[in-house]
Parts: sequence; C-alpha cells; structure tokens
Amino acid sequence: MILVNKNTKVIVQGATGKMGATHTKLMLNYGTKIVAGVTPGKGGENVHGVPIYDTVKAAVEKTGADASVIFVPPYLAYDAASEALAAGIKLLVLITEGMPPLDTAKLVQEVKEHKAQLIGPNCPGIITPEQCLIGILPGSLFKAGPVGMVSKSGTLTYEIALALTKSNLGQSTCVGTGGDPIKGLDYQEVLALFEKDPETKAIVLIGEIGGSAEEEAAEFIKQNIKKPVVAFIAGQTAPPGKRMGHAGAIVSAGKGTAQSKIEALNSAGVKVAKTPKQVAICLSEILSPVSH
Amino acid sequence: MNLYEYEAKEMFANFGIPVPPSTRISNAAEIKIKLSAAIKEAKLDFPVTLKCQVLSGGRGKAGGIKFAKDMCEAEAIADQLLKLKINDLPTQSLLVEPKLAIAQELYLAITLDRNQGCAIFIASAEGGIEIESSHNVVTSRIPYPYHSYVARDLAFALDLKGNALVKVADIANKLYQLFVSRDLDLAEINPLIITKSGEVVALDGKIIVNDDALDRQPYFKGWLEKHLDGLTSREQKSKLTGLNLVELKGNIGIICNGAGLVMGTMDMVKDFGGEPANFLDVGGGASRDKTLAALEIVHDNPDVKVILLNILGGITACDEIAHALTEFIKKYPKRQMVVRLQGNNQDLAEQILSNSGIKLFSDLEEAVQEAVSRSH
Repeated sequence: MILVNKNTKVIVQGATGKMGATHTKLMLNYGTKIVAGVTPGKGGENVHGVPIYDTVKAAVEKTGADASVIFVPPYLAYDAASEALAAGIKLLVLITEGMPPLDTAKLVQEVKEHKAQLIGPNCPGIITPEQCLIGILPGSLFKAGPVGMVSKSGTLTYEIALALTKSNLGQSTCVGTGGDPIKGLDYQEVLALFEKDPETKAIVLIGEIGGSAEEEAAEFIKQNIKKPVVAFIAGQTAPPGKRMGHAGAIVSAGKGTAQSKIEALNSAGVKVAKTPKQVAICLSEILSPVSH
Repeated sequence: MNLYEYEAKEMFANFGIPVPPSTRISNAAEIKIKLSAAIKEAKLDFPVTLKCQVLSGGRGKAGGIKFAKDMCEAEAIADQLLKLKINDLPTQSLLVEPKLAIAQELYLAITLDRNQGCAIFIASAEGGIEIESSHNVVTSRIPYPYHSYVARDLAFALDLKGNALVKVADIANKLYQLFVSRDLDLAEINPLIITKSGEVVALDGKIIVNDDALDRQPYFKGWLEKHLDGLTSREQKSKLTGLNLVELKGNIGIICNGAGLVMGTMDMVKDFGGEPANFLDVGGGASRDKTLAALEIVHDNPDVKVILLNILGGITACDEIAHALTEFIKKYPKRQMVVRLQGNNQDLAEQILSNSGIKLFSDLEEAVQEAVSRSH
C-alpha cells in the first residue's frame, strides 16, 4: 500500500456542508480514522460524532491529524489547502471541482515548499482497500489485493476496480489524481511509489486524452518500472478541439490524442486494454502464478 | 470563453498596453458615420485596416483583414466583410484601425503550462505567424510571487535593445497583471509590433478566459451567452445549464457521470460497432433535475435512436437518477433506452424502477452491446 493506511488520521475541511457531511459518514463507515472536521464558525459542533474545529491548526493540535480531505467550494479551496499546509498537514486530498487553475498553480508551489503531497483537485481521492478511504470513491467496489491503480478519472477508476474485484483481483492502493491540467501528484510519482511498495505486484494506469502525462509516464515506465503495467486510455472517439468534460481532456493542434498515448505505452511494454473487463483479463494472466 | 479581438484590446488598453486607435461597426451603414467622425477627431486616417471580429482563428488566410485607401473603398469592403463567414462562424462586427508602418513584428503570450504547473511566457522575435511554425520561440516560467525582471530577461532573450527592450518588458509585465487579475487561460499579442517611429503596439490580440473562474470575475458578467459561437444549439443550452455536451454524428446518445467514464463508454460503443451521437457528462453528484435535463437534451437530438445511460454512483446517488428516469419515461414512453446503474443506493434505485419496464443492466459490456444492437 502507498500513502495511506489504517493508521492515517484524517480531518475533513468543509465537513458541515452537504457533500462534506455525506462523505464524512461514508468514510467513517468504511473505517477511515476521521479525527476532526473544520468549518470556520462551527467549532464545538459535531458531524456524525466527529468534532468540528474552527481552524485546521486547532484540529491538528488536538488530534495529531496527518491528512486532510477538502470539500470546500472552488473559490475557497486554495485558502483551505494553504491553511492545512501551514498547520503541518503532509497529505492533501482535494476533491473540489472547478478550482481556477491559477489558484491550483499557486497551491502546487506551496505544496512543494512544504514537502507535502497533494492529490487533486477535481479528483475522487485515494483508497487503500479495507483500511482507509479518503474522498468520494464507493468503497464497496474495492477489495484488498496486489494491484496498484493510478487514474485521472473517478468513475472510470470505479468501473475498472469493479471489474478487478469481480475477477478476484484486489487492490493495494488506488489513487485518483484528477482531471485538471494542473494538479498535485501525477502518474510518475505514484508509479514510483508502487514500484517500491512490496504489496503491489502489478499496476493499472488509467489515462485519457489531453496533455502528455501518459506519454511521459510511458517513458518513465521504460526507465524505472519493473512491475507489470496494464493501461486503459479513454477518448479514442473524442473529436479534436473539444473539451471532453475534464478541463484537461482536449486534443489540441494534434497533440494529446489517445493514439499517441497508446503507442507510447505499447512501446514501453505496457498492455493497453480496450475495455475495463479486458484490464482484469490481462492482469489475471500476468498475476496468475501469484493469485491462483 | 474565447473573446473577440476588440474585447481583448479593450482589456489590453485598461491595463496600459498600447493598442491602435479604432472604431467598430456592426453594419455597413455605420462605416461612413463612424469613420468620418473618427477622422474628424484626428483619431484615425486613411489608409485604414478593416478586420472581421469573429470567434475563429485563421482570419487572415480566410480574407478577413483588408485595407482601404478612401471612404468609397472602405464602404465596399465593409459591406463584403460583414457577410463573411470564417470556418462557418459569422462576422460579428468590423474593427477599423489605421494601417501602421511596421518595423518589426513580435509574438508575446502568457498561458498555463500543464507540465510545469504554472503560467509561462511564450515569445518570439517573429510575429504575425502561427507560433507553432516559428523557429525562435522563447519560453520562460513565470515565478510566483511575480518579479518584473522576468519580463526584462524575456525581452533580452528576444535580442531587443534600448527603448524596444524596455517597452516590450513593460508590456509583458502588464500582460501578466491582466492574465492573473482576470483569470485567463491565454493572453496573446500576435503581432506585437514595433512601428517605424519606435512605438510598441498590440496589433492583434486573443484572450481565452478560464471558464471555472467566470463566477468570480464580475467584469465578464453576462458575457458567456454572447461567446458561444461554434457550438450547436444543444451544446449552447447545455453549457448554460452546467452540463457538458459534445455532439457527434452517430445515433447512440450517451450519458454518464464523470468525463472519463463517458469517453470510455463512447470508445466501447464504437469498438462494438456502434456510433456515438454525443458525449454528455452529468458530472459528480447529479441531482434528479440535472439528470432529467440531460436526458431531455439528448432526446431532443433527432438523430438519436437509443439513449445509453451509464451511471456508476460514487458521489452520485442512483436513486436520484432513478427518479429522473421515472419522470422521463412517463413523458416519453416510446424512447428507446438502455440503462446501466451501479453503486451508491443501487438497491433504492432498483426498487424505484421495479415497475417502470426499464431493464437495468449491471454489466457495462452487456449494456453497450444492447445499445449497439438497438441502434442498427
């Protein structure tokens, strides 16, 4: 497993909002150690039994939290994340969608200065199945096992996790890095963590059109990753010049096509599956001596 | 949101970047009145440049920029240019400016670089061409917090000297102020010209405003609906209601929650021998109303033979989707539908839909196969 485990102590920024409260409950039910919530002006209240503090600093002092999941509205997200960094939080999971990229750019720089890690924004979060779920992933689709997953897309991750779980292929950790062009952790950092993690035996990389992160990941895999990697790339039918939902999913001036990503991954020895089910089939073949 | 050249130049001027004097006309009858007035005020003089204001690139090549030496010629050109469509997009108005004597053309832009995760300057000592085809492009990372020396370094790297170096650096600084104050995705001056008399002037401009930031930029309040050229009527409607629709040529309407899942589903449809009619992402946590709006927009496309609704509920509650479906089917009982629902509150959704006659698929491949076979 990487980044989070059963001992990770998590605070929820924006825990008293509709979405924050709903997912605080779901994360608690999953077994995540949610130690505090933060909403300015609501200190002293509680959400599903979780104590609320006015500031992250106060919450960290009382609970010794080491991770924060952020559910605040887009224009407040930068401030909330900065507050968490200043309070010493080393892992930020930023769920918020629609954060202006100039805010994200500032945040990414601050994260580096604090030697912290950022997952997101516009992401589903991270799960180490049966131990810790931080974010909005539906826990019931995942189970513990040897496959590490890294993905730009939320629901596509669920789809592939579902296919893996049905084939009895559990997951070590799944990281949804988010669909924005500017973001925290990207494929390479997560791949490197999986390579070092003894419990991860194979890796699934889920990508989509836009940018060149998949091509760079392919190059990185060629040089640095010995574990088998299976990929799924979405957007082969996307027309050029159109933004496909995610802010970063756009083929522009002939760059960022699914074809280019698939070719790059193939040339790095990565199998690219055509459907979520095929991802599971490829992995079963690779892992059969281990898991059967 | 893409802006017109004249809007970009107004913003340049507001931030102290020199632009040519101009007047703008939206119909042929206006040219004589406005141009005469501008000449009288000594703002403009012949020869003038007439430029189509259109939300499309490739304007010069398409004949959207012309020069006139007198009023008679200006009137004839105005009449012709106002009717011109560029890449199928209509000319909204004409910008009329003096024809300037150019000594040098440069390129200067700021955009967000996804690999470096920050804003960057892009510049070239060759302007007026597409930047992709320039061979001397200089890029430089813009630090945060900002420092003006970055702009001087940039001007120096363009081999500028003396007054030109100072003026171009000053414009780069102002362009950065504009970029961050207005939450832009792109601020481009192409060409930035040095005139024969040594003035540095933004001769053409392109601005793209970040869509996610629009609600915190009162300057652009009410602009979005006037800047949707190039989208189909249903795409425009979707954009204004917060749905993500991209229309294609096929006959299977696709609605999912989450952009990656929509793209993945489209690819599978194509792979299984079908043709997607659209990409529609209802987004995370879609409510009943939003889902219903999505269903209606896809239903509204006469090419759509079957709608494939694929929802994998994480943040999205399947029962919300089920309520929307019940309402939709009541309204349009003949609509061909293939529905795949899985995840958060799936059991509630199954109860709600148990008497609806809708068969619920839990397996994605089976659902896609069914949609494809019904589309033929």
